[in-house]
Amino acid sequence: MIVDASGQKVLQACTQASSQGVQPGMRLKTALSLVADLAMVRTDPQQEARVLQDQARWLYRCAAHITLVPPDGLLAEIGSLQKLYGGLPAVWETVEQGLNERRLTAWLGIGHTPLAARLIARTGKGECSADQGHMLRLLEQLPLAEAEFDTQACTRLQRLGLNTLGNLFALPAAELARRLGPKILAHSQKIQGTRPDPQTPWQPPHRFRQQADFVEDIEHSQGLLFPLQRILSELEEDLCWRQQETDSLNLLLCYRYTEPTRLHIRTSGPEHRAEAFLNLIRLRFEQQPLQAPVVSLVLLVKRFIGREAASGQDLLGETQDMNEAWHTLISRLQARLGDGALQQLAPHADHRPEQAWASADVKRKQRKASAAENPLPCRPLWLMHKPQPLHTKPQAWFSGPERISSGWWDGQRVQRDYYIAQLPSGQLAWVFRDASQGWHIHGWFG
Amino acid sequence: MQSESYKSDGHYENPESYAELHCFSNFSFLTGASHPHELAEQAAGLGYSALAITDACSVAGIPRAWAALKNSPVKLITGSWFELSDAPPRACTPCFILLARTRKGYGQLCQLITSARRRAEKGQYQLYYRDLEVHPLDDCLCLWLPPTLANADSQQALAAGEWLLRLFDRRLWLAASRTLESGEEQQLARIRWLATELRCPITASGDVHMHCRKRQPLQDVLTALRNHTNLENAGHCLFQNGERYLRPVAVLQRLFPTAWLQQTQVIAQQCTFEPGSLRYEYPPDLVPSGTCAAGYLLKLTREGERRRYPEGTPLQVQALIHKELGLISEMQYEHYFLTIEDIVAFARGRGILCQGRGSAANSAVCYCLGITEVNPAKVDLLFERFISKDRNEPPDIDVDFEHQRREEVIQYIYQRYSRDRAAIAATVIRYRPRSTIRDVGKVLGFDPLLVEQLLDGIDWRDKATPWRQQILDKNLTRNPNVADQFFTLVNTLLGFPRHLSQHVGGFVISAGPLAELVPIENAAMADRTVIQWDKNDLESLGLMKVDVLALGILTAIRKALEMISAQLGRPFHMQDIPQEDPDTYAMLQTGDSVGVFQVESRAQINMLPRLKPATYYDLVVQVAIVRPGPIQGDMVHPYLKRRHGLEPVNYPNQAIQRVLERTLGVPIFQEQVIRLAMVAAGFSGGEADQLRRAMAAWKSHGDLTPFRDKLLSGMKERGHTDDFAERLYQQICGFGGYGFPESHAASFALLVYVSAWIKRHYPAAFYCALLNSQPMGFYSASQLVQDARRHGVDVQPLDVNHSQWDHTLQSQTPQSQAPQSQTLQTQTDNPLSLRLGLSQIRGLSQQAGTSVSAKRPENGYTSSSQLRQLTGLNQRDMELLAGANAMPGFTSNRHQAYWQLLGHEQPAELFIGEDNNAPEPACEQLPTPNEGQNIAADYSSQGLTLQRHPLALLREQGHLSFCLSASELNTIEPGRPVQVAGLVTGRQRPGTASGVTFVTLEDETGNINVVVWLATARQQRKPLLTARLLHVKGVLEREGDIMHIMAGKLSDLSHLIKALPVSSRNFH
Repeated sequence: MIVDASGQKVLQACTQASSQGVQPGMRLKTALSLVADLAMVRTDPQQEARVLQDQARWLYRCAAHITLVPPDGLLAEIGSLQKLYGGLPAVWETVEQGLNERRLTAWLGIGHTPLAARLIARTGKGECSADQGHMLRLLEQLPLAEAEFDTQACTRLQRLGLNTLGNLFALPAAELARRLGPKILAHSQKIQGTRPDPQTPWQPPHRFRQQADFVEDIEHSQGLLFPLQRILSELEEDLCWRQQETDSLNLLLCYRYTEPTRLHIRTSGPEHRAEAFLNLIRLRFEQQPLQAPVVSLVLLVKRFIGREAASGQDLLGETQDMNEAWHTLISRLQARLGDGALQQLAPHADHRPEQAWASADVKRKQRKASAAENPLPCRPLWLMHKPQPLHTKPQAWFSGPERISSGWWDGQRVQRDYYIAQLPSGQLAWVFRDASQGWHIHGWFG
Repeated sequence: MQSESYKSDGHYENPESYAELHCFSNFSFLTGASHPHELAEQAAGLGYSALAITDACSVAGIPRAWAALKNSPVKLITGSWFELSDAPPRACTPCFILLARTRKGYGQLCQLITSARRRAEKGQYQLYYRDLEVHPLDDCLCLWLPPTLANADSQQALAAGEWLLRLFDRRLWLAASRTLESGEEQQLARIRWLATELRCPITASGDVHMHCRKRQPLQDVLTALRNHTNLENAGHCLFQNGERYLRPVAVLQRLFPTAWLQQTQVIAQQCTFEPGSLRYEYPPDLVPSGTCAAGYLLKLTREGERRRYPEGTPLQVQALIHKELGLISEMQYEHYFLTIEDIVAFARGRGILCQGRGSAANSAVCYCLGITEVNPAKVDLLFERFISKDRNEPPDIDVDFEHQRREEVIQYIYQRYSRDRAAIAATVIRYRPRSTIRDVGKVLGFDPLLVEQLLDGIDWRDKATPWRQQILDKNLTRNPNVADQFFTLVNTLLGFPRHLSQHVGGFVISAGPLAELVPIENAAMADRTVIQWDKNDLESLGLMKVDVLALGILTAIRKALEMISAQLGRPFHMQDIPQEDPDTYAMLQTGDSVGVFQVESRAQINMLPRLKPATYYDLVVQVAIVRPGPIQGDMVHPYLKRRHGLEPVNYPNQAIQRVLERTLGVPIFQEQVIRLAMVAAGFSGGEADQLRRAMAAWKSHGDLTPFRDKLLSGMKERGHTDDFAERLYQQICGFGGYGFPESHAASFALLVYVSAWIKRHYPAAFYCALLNSQPMGFYSASQLVQDARRHGVDVQPLDVNHSQWDHTLQSQTPQSQAPQSQTLQTQTDNPLSLRLGLSQIRGLSQQAGTSVSAKRPENGYTSSSQLRQLTGLNQRDMELLAGANAMPGFTSNRHQAYWQLLGHEQPAELFIGEDNNAPEPACEQLPTPNEGQNIAADYSSQGLTLQRHPLALLREQGHLSFCLSASELNTIEPGRPVQVAGLVTGRQRPGTASGVTFVTLEDETGNINVVVWLATARQQRKPLLTARLLHVKGVLEREGDIMHIMAGKLSDLSHLIKALPVSSRNFH
């Protein structure tokens, strides 16, 4: 069962749930009282939009003129395709087959207008037929509630005793417009086809793809850099023109006999300069020699980021330089060491010393530390991975006890009294006594 | 060099002891993790010499702590913690605690809290440094909590200290706590430095948030909730450890220098204020100058006597009055009675019907003062609880007013005593199981959807599988420790206060400014203020409150009486209703009580034919017996048996006989149970009162076991058998919290009788008044209209040419052309019919409705455009009228009416008044509504229909071929299998019936009661829970006049009535 974002209403229910009485639009409470062990999924509008985009991309292969009808609809102009595919049934079959392959449940419908197609598809009674009379008959039987009028219009039409689209079509158009407003009439006419209903065509998203095929196999990565430089310059131009940046490049190296190598190159922040990209790729090549002679390479960029206004540019340009340097260093290290090899230490808000720090992905250097947080407590710089038992009696006690009792909720409860103590060896240690009265060393002060 | 006030005089009872001066209870919402009484008991157990409860800008926890410390050597200090919203010049924002030194200081503290609370939204406060400079606080002590190094630099801190020192010279201490957290040493160093700079002593303080260390997890949970986060992300919001509890004195002695500990004693000794010393001062306004309160009350009573008994007061009543007045003046309660009399007199002057109830209300004095209509001469009642001399407890009178006009009374009280002297008592909203599980689940990071699922899956009444097990079965967490923590947390958090809300109508009125008695804060409702204490707090401190409650039936009775007066052509009052009318009782005995006050529920309707009330006192019993208390205490069957002579009535001794004689030896009222404890087990008045409180609290957290031994041994001593004693104890437990007091039942029974009499003799007026008083009672307008028609009342549909805004009674002249707006006729041979009012149309504004009847021309409206033009109604209101089919005079049906309204354009001014009155031509293409559509439209516009019942339609269409109607069932023998169908108008799962669901079905002939056993319900959840039209196969059962169907197979027929918006009232 799928639940709306606020977790209040049922949006969809699987057949099993439906058989037990769960219906769309039902309150979650009611649904749960019907089926206690209901599995629930919260709707994700972003994912829905993505799925719809994916389908559009796929359908774009079959039809040139596509319109998205969020959240769940796609329109394709198929009149012009009949010739290409050899008749309407062939088009229908192609689409249906494609949907099956993609394991998608979808309802198809053909209509003489975009709205008609949509409404027919939603009834689930769509047929592969171009007979307008048939379509109109289907539409006339359609309850008004399912004709996509807004709720206010719906109640108004119902108050007039109109139940189906047929009832509505029967009313004189002029009177309809005068009494119910032009919007309802327009909608009605768009269904019937007496008023044009232009659709904004969908454009597949932009991607940058360049391929270089080599006449001769290239055996050394050095040899790839030259053609890459040209492609990257084109990329830079493309990015500049679109006022965009990217932080990830996909590089495909094709060999004559073996499977191609896919390289994923990430910058530490949005970037557009060919030189920066090239440096990273060069580092990567140094690290990863070619498996075999390369016959062609493809550079593919799918991720684009709107370019920010140049940041932190003060009068003297110093900060920018610092940022740049940091940025470049991180990018290079990442390229050299590979993804995930580079981590950054960061404080983590937790009273338990073990949990008070974390390693995190390297962030772009922040312009300024965010507002002064709690001052860090007095902690040794060297925290031991595991506390060691304290065997010798300390010579001197400097501070304490500092009592830490926390973390009861995640099974890693800590209950300790910490002291700073000088051991006979002269070392300054951070020691604690735990609930079992045992003494441990947890860290060393310099 | 320290000043005098800081020096101890050395006379401590225990120089080793300690006074905790900084302690949050859970009335610092989402901060303190212990109840005030827990803190108090813990402090007593640890041998503290004193405990200050210092909630955040509040003294709400004080009465509870005081109740726990009343009889203990630990002194309770009243204080409050504050954080300013701004900072004094060059200083940091100071945090400090104010402690009340004396009663005067307490008043100052309350005033300050009131100022800070009144200017902020509900639950918040805003205090500025200027406030402290302006408010007198010379009798308060101040403990400053110096800022940490992170929060302020030393110069800012010093500036704040200097500022406080200026305000609290010689009354300022620096509070130092030892919570063993990081940075503590530096903080202590700072405090020492500040103390030297300011020449101010340091006192130890615990910064207490909980009574014992075990509450740390709960405290963390509360902190996370307060910060709108979960534990995993709470980070440094949480305290570093659990040291903020009431620590043993020995531990404190290790942590603090002796001088600091001694200062706590010095401070505690200076604080002499004790909440118990708060005395109520009655407002003197009511007594005319030159007379004393007692004399004035006597005068008013005498006047009342002459009014009530024009032929002379019966001797018995005279004696009663004499006795009561003596008691009142002995206890000095004159002002209380005068206050109530004043409010009631105001209401009477305005024609607002009201009725007092409660122990003191049913007295001869109150009868004479007009507070109640229960005549002590005619009804022989026990007035034991009138005022108890043993218990120093204020009298208790609740006054019910017409629900639609109570606001007038409230406004009168505000105006009479001013807002400074009158405010409404608080109601403490507490954590309930659902909110607790939700909040704890959220903090532990459980998926909210799963938690909701869990909550819905839990069967709270299913005692067999405790909800703990039910939750475990749900696999909310894989970590068994977390699961255990979860239950502990939920159990401790249950019952914690969440916020203060306003009591339904308990007013506190005082002589001086109320804010010096208790802080006042804002309620959620605009212009409403509440005090920081609730009803129990007021009671435990012995403060008086006046309950101004709203009761729907009073509205209905007043309206019905007005209609009867109009019908009779002379005023007709409640007193004019003949007493003990046999016809009225005959009607009630058949269970015909829809709309009658208190006895209209299904359970009551079932009980009426069994109890067969024949006198006023039977009604008193009837009101009280259908309650969880008597039902769970198993008192209903013995009473009925004895009433019908099937079981002998006997009493162990005379004393018990006196208590139980009225109810045939079966305790039915709360008073009787208390009284029994006194006469059978020798409880003193005070002990019996404790028992009553424990009973009231039993369900939430009370414990009756301490009383058990005393009861059993007391009864044994007095020669009762163990069996009898045990039975009585069980009855008391069964009563816990649910017993109905006789004093209230007596007042209610009067209204039962009055409303039943009106229903029996003036049904049209009765239903009309009920409809005009909606929402109230048990039944919807639709059910009332159907019942009215079954009682022969002619109900006429809505019509812009006949209807008023309210429902009205109109004479049944044949429909002439002239509209019948002169509503009432005097001749009784021409029965009145009930004309539905425009108020029945959902969403229609009252202004629009009244203008329709006010602007109506002599001959009525002739077209919709004329209607619109004369009344100036907007499009929305016009559409609502059309949707209700309220223009039958000039439109053929609602579709056409609606069509005509659409597309209307405001005529140019020039043409106004020109021929607009001709009806527009009809639109031929519009479908004519069929009967089903009309019924559905009626329901959606008015919630009822005067056309055929939808079930009649379905039956005619052959959808219900094997189903019997409600009326046909009457002829069927019990035990026969039957099939019925009806609209589901109610689903009820009473707490007293284990797992049984009662479903009420409605068809065109009446209601059908269906009983669904738990097993059946579980198997057929879907139809049971979702059907709007339900088909039931089952077995007919009948006992006397009571009939119901034991459900077997349920099926959902809702698809037959798809368009019909009928909603069921579900009671869980």
